[in-house]
Amino acid sequence: MLNRETQVMLNQRTRIILALLVIIALTFTILDLRGGKGPFSSVRSVVSSAFGGVQVAASVIVSPITGVGSWWGTWGDQRARIAELESENATLQDALVRSAEDRARADALDQLLRVAGVGRYRIVPAEVIAVEPAQDFSWTVTIDAGRDDGLLTDMTVINGQGLIGRILSTTKTTATVVLIVDASSAVGARVAGTEEIGILSGTGRQDSLEFQTLDPLASLKPGQALVTFGSRSGRPYAPGIPIGEVAEVSGTAGQLSRIATVRPFADVSQLSIVGVVIRPPREDPRDSVLPSPPATTSDASALASPSPSGVDDGASPAPTASTKPKKEKAAKPVPSPTPSAGTAASGESN
Amino acid sequence: MWIRQTVICASVIVLAVMLQLTLLSRLGLPGATPDLVVVCVVALALAYGPITGAVVGFAAGLILGFTPPAGGVIGIQALIFLVIGFLTGAVIDPRDRTVPVLMGLVGLSTGAATLAYALLIAGFGGKEVAWDAVPALVLTSSLYGLILAPVVVPTISWLVRRVTPEIAI
Repeated sequence: MLNRETQVMLNQRTRIILALLVIIALTFTILDLRGGKGPFSSVRSVVSSAFGGVQVAASVIVSPITGVGSWWGTWGDQRARIAELESENATLQDALVRSAEDRARADALDQLLRVAGVGRYRIVPAEVIAVEPAQDFSWTVTIDAGRDDGLLTDMTVINGQGLIGRILSTTKTTATVVLIVDASSAVGARVAGTEEIGILSGTGRQDSLEFQTLDPLASLKPGQALVTFGSRSGRPYAPGIPIGEVAEVSGTAGQLSRIATVRPFADVSQLSIVGVVIRPPREDPRDSVLPSPPATTSDASALASPSPSGVDDGASPAPTASTKPKKEKAAKPVPSPTPSAGTAASGESN
Repeated sequence: MWIRQTVICASVIVLAVMLQLTLLSRLGLPGATPDLVVVCVVALALAYGPITGAVVGFAAGLILGFTPPAGGVIGIQALIFLVIGFLTGAVIDPRDRTVPVLMGLVGLSTGAATLAYALLIAGFGGKEVAWDAVPALVLTSSLYGLILAPVVVPTISWLVRRVTPEIAI
């Protein structure tokens, strides 16, 4: 109370003091702004040395407390960082999954192209988009290429491992493939490295085929590979495509015929990318397409999961871009080994 | 009487400067550093009146300007603190010193000090001011002032009444 009155009384003095202080402050400011060393550098160094020791001591005393600071200060940043990293992590995981899928598909395509390249088959790649349920006892699948892609019935369907089957029927954009393991399927086959030929029939089981040689005296040994010997103009089967290897031979030499159990190279339960041979090679590739020596590589693992991701158009232009899908008329008649065997094969297969 | 008042003001300010520079600024709290010096200036101005508030603010600003880590322009803080000390000492009637009013006053002071410093230092051309950071700095500075006020102001007024009972308002 008293103080207030005093101040009112000392109003003049108050104003003088305030003005003085403001002027001093402004003077300091202006002097300091002149830059250079200025009149304050010495004062600063004095204060610095005076306070320096105190600051060191204080800083030692408070250091346990300031240690918390690093946590405090970066807290906001860290939250943002965590969110950022989480989203990045999700993106990368997504990319990883997709790249694994893509790699599997690329591997499958690579193998297919190797087969097509070595055997000089002109192929249209396609993807399996539907599979007949196993309980229907019918081994057929649907692929996403059809008449528009140049597909005709009885064309050969292969993948990176070997023969898959032949086309049963086509629509404009899809085709139905009957697999070699289907009980109705029969393929004219030749034992690799020999001239022994025979009929390879499906059994309805996915891992076994039955091979019956035409020559009852032919010698068959487990491990021998079979390739297609092909029909006229490559339909139903183009020549030289690996089919499988002999797993077991029953019957003895001299019987009317000998039956061998053959395990197909291609795992028909794991199909994703396949190729349709739209034009067989001018010359029979003979055994050249067979994978080198111990050809029993069950590379099914390299294939993508069987779930057909129909998004991708399997009939991508890549492998066929170089070719216009011509009809078989354009191709020279296939130098098939024995015409009779060829017709026998095609006849059997229907 | 004068000597005791000077001693208590000087020790409060020096302690506040030391705490602010060695502890509070290194806590790395988000936004501004809690402006303990301004809070102490306001508390002393509330206790001793506007003239003492102005002188204390002026001195505190100078000390802050001279003390090592300070890279700013000497005198600007003195000017700001001087005005804050005078105004807070003059504005508040001793009879309506309720805690919310005090907190509001201190919060306003710390925020205003931050804003005024940015404006003045830009006006004098002493330093580049990162204007996009200014709103957040002003807000957090006010917030820390609000938080510090109910601790610092009663402590200092208790100290003042204890040491210089005949002057304290």
